[in-house]
Amino acid sequence: MRLEIGNFYVKDIVFGESLSFKNGILTVNKEKALDFIREDRRITEAELYIAKPGDRIRICPVKEAIEPRARLDGRSIFPGYTGDLAKAGSGVTYALKNCSVLVAGRHWGGFQDGVIDMSGEGQKYTYFGGLNNIVLVADTNEEFERYEQQKKNDALRRAGHRLAEWIGSCLRGLTPEETEIYELESIIRRDPETEKLPSVVYVMQPQSQMEEMGYNDLVYGWDTNHMVPTVMHPNEILDGAIVSGSFMPVSSKWSTYDMQNCPNIKALYREHGKTINFLGVITSNLNVALEQKERAAIFVAQIATLLGADGAVVAEEGYGNPDADFVGCIVALEDAGIKTVGITNECTGRDGQSQPLVTLDEKCDAIVSCGNVSEMIELPPMETVLGELEALARDGLSGGWAHDEVLGPSVREDGSIIMENNSMFCGDQVCGWSPKTMKEF
Amino acid sequence: MKKAILYINQFFGQIGGEDKAGIEPEIHEEHIGPALQFAKTLHAEITHTVICGDNYMGTNTDAAVETILGMLKDKEFDIFLAGPAFQAGRYGVACGTICKAVKEEFHVPVVTSMNEENPGVDMFKKEMYILQGGNIASKMRKDVTAMVNVANKILDGLPVGSASEDGYFPRGIRHMVWLKDKKPASERMVDMLVKKLNGLPFETELPIPKLDRVPIAPAVKDLTKAKIALLNTGGIVPVDNPDRIQSASATRWGRYDIADTTALKGGEYKTIHAGFDPAAADADPNVITPVDALKVLEKEGFFGRLHPYFYTTVGTGTTEAEARRMAREIVPYLEEDQVDACIMVST
Amino acid sequence: MQMCNLIPVAKTVGSNRIVPTISIPYPLGDPSTTKEEQWKLRYHRTKVALESLATDINEQTVFRV
Repeated sequence: MRLEIGNFYVKDIVFGESLSFKNGILTVNKEKALDFIREDRRITEAELYIAKPGDRIRICPVKEAIEPRARLDGRSIFPGYTGDLAKAGSGVTYALKNCSVLVAGRHWGGFQDGVIDMSGEGQKYTYFGGLNNIVLVADTNEEFERYEQQKKNDALRRAGHRLAEWIGSCLRGLTPEETEIYELESIIRRDPETEKLPSVVYVMQPQSQMEEMGYNDLVYGWDTNHMVPTVMHPNEILDGAIVSGSFMPVSSKWSTYDMQNCPNIKALYREHGKTINFLGVITSNLNVALEQKERAAIFVAQIATLLGADGAVVAEEGYGNPDADFVGCIVALEDAGIKTVGITNECTGRDGQSQPLVTLDEKCDAIVSCGNVSEMIELPPMETVLGELEALARDGLSGGWAHDEVLGPSVREDGSIIMENNSMFCGDQVCGWSPKTMKEF
Repeated sequence: MKKAILYINQFFGQIGGEDKAGIEPEIHEEHIGPALQFAKTLHAEITHTVICGDNYMGTNTDAAVETILGMLKDKEFDIFLAGPAFQAGRYGVACGTICKAVKEEFHVPVVTSMNEENPGVDMFKKEMYILQGGNIASKMRKDVTAMVNVANKILDGLPVGSASEDGYFPRGIRHMVWLKDKKPASERMVDMLVKKLNGLPFETELPIPKLDRVPIAPAVKDLTKAKIALLNTGGIVPVDNPDRIQSASATRWGRYDIADTTALKGGEYKTIHAGFDPAAADADPNVITPVDALKVLEKEGFFGRLHPYFYTTVGTGTTEAEARRMAREIVPYLEEDQVDACIMVST
Repeated sequence: MQMCNLIPVAKTVGSNRIVPTISIPYPLGDPSTTKEEQWKLRYHRTKVALESLATDINEQTVFRV
């Protein structure tokens, strides 16, 4: 399967007459974009903003991030979600680089929503603090979950994906600045030189724990809670087959943007034919019962063995009880004789003294650590807030609180905040961006 | 200028060797032994040198500590240094002992240095900065330099680097750091993977710590007379969450009267745990806190009596330190009612 | 004693008497089964939990349910 991603680098975003991309400038007609968003009658209030690195902007509660793209053959960029079901992963996709569509609640947030700072000390905590963002701030009529701590955020997340596709459409007919080519042939038909290299599978554990539909990551629009581990082509993931969900403390979330650009997959691709033979992706899951976790680990180890994997990389989208899926999967792979590297976040507490993962096993001897979900962060006020900052304290965001005898509320009257890293939007970057690690002190 | 006090033993205090190891603590205003070396680069004036015999500290620990704390009571100092103790076991333990006491009594930072073979390392590494020192006294200059490096950061109000950067024994504390080279996790993963696949040495970023072991409690002798308490980390609370227990990273707990309750009802109780789908427990809280089953088993005489309260916090993201503190706060209530054993339901 | 579904977590943190439950969100009653089945399961496992407290053990023990 061969996927070409044609890249267009965004240097600036402006609002203007018509949607276009020229000389690195993305121009968006705000009213037309908002009209398009309001086609979903659930959207009751919507506004668009531009947030670039260095801007004195804080965004909260952020619900999703998407890279604007276009499929030249007319297929949807998220098949089975924003458009008809079709196979992803082959053909030509155009992408606006250094650019994302962010969706934030106008008022209401929840456990799964987070914070992005575009400048200052807080900027480095998220990948999106370094991107040129088109920010949709909106509210909906989804009354059933307005005061719920766990929100599906369905209307807002869909609006973001649709907007990313709508904006990406301006790339049709243009010539990309560069083209990335991702090509991986059948596992049993590799060239002899590649076959001499140790073979590797990437095991993704996307968030799939919610038994009620509407919260989990989607595969081709289908709820991952239905899924047992399966084999996917890495191109499918890079080409929009997986859409992020709305259920996990947000620092451990992999946004749709993270899926579209998954650095772990790209890194394995880069090594393919040089140091490894990259077999493909085993898409696993995260579960809420030990037996389900063990069953998934059995599936993964069996599939990896049957594919002939010498090595594996396991990455989890979550922490806490998903650590049991993560560690269980690594142990099952090691027991099958497959040399495994894990990528995870840790939860060592504000004081750094807690056990880093809820389950541990000596077989996990090669772990890349991306940070501490419970690291304490204190940030000064920001000139502009997009959304409603109070949500961080009021709405049960995973790293915020309304009351604390010693620390006071997460959001102070002057607009300064104190929070756990838990609420930094996709801050852990276990998908591979993370320039952070954990050190002993 | 800030002020420092240094602790050394009889040997480095130039009083004598093994024959003088029994001497009682002394305090001097002049720089003695290693103090001269420290004074060259330390960002503080060493105002006093305390000397104590290793054997005296080892056998009369309480008296030695008390005497030294008494000597320091009227002194102003911003940091307390001890050693370096190299591989000398008694000296290392003495340095650790006095540093711990000084830190607790005067709340000043303490820094010492020992060789990894020194038994003082395992005894005290979680409580203070112990620099990874040489095994013999000829490493004095190097060890003092390493101690001064950390001490100066503390004195200057700068963050101390990680254990590997600044060369001290890890204190069981793990914090997030930004890598200087900003190397993304994906590239670190590939490096580690290729090394592991090729049988080359690699370094994990998360060394698996030794597992906690808890002494096993003896069995309850007669269940039919036993008083049992029910606790849970599944966040079951009265619907208005009167104790405002957090839905994640909890620091709060509550206890709720079930003396006259035969079963928890949905609508009266719910879960505020944010780590799982709450639907089932909201509809029937007994699926997490089996009050209904316990009441029936109590009635049937299967066990003696159910403690009239159940206890709740939330487990998700909750740190061990907070969990330990909450347990310490809960235990007196259980002791007061002479509870024999507990059932803890975790989600 | 600890009643929980994630036995590996209980073992890692050092619990000594462990009785398994059926899941994380509903440890003692699967909502897809009848109320009667849920009650039977809950009554049984709670009884095992009480019995575990009166049982002498020499090592970490997961009691059979």
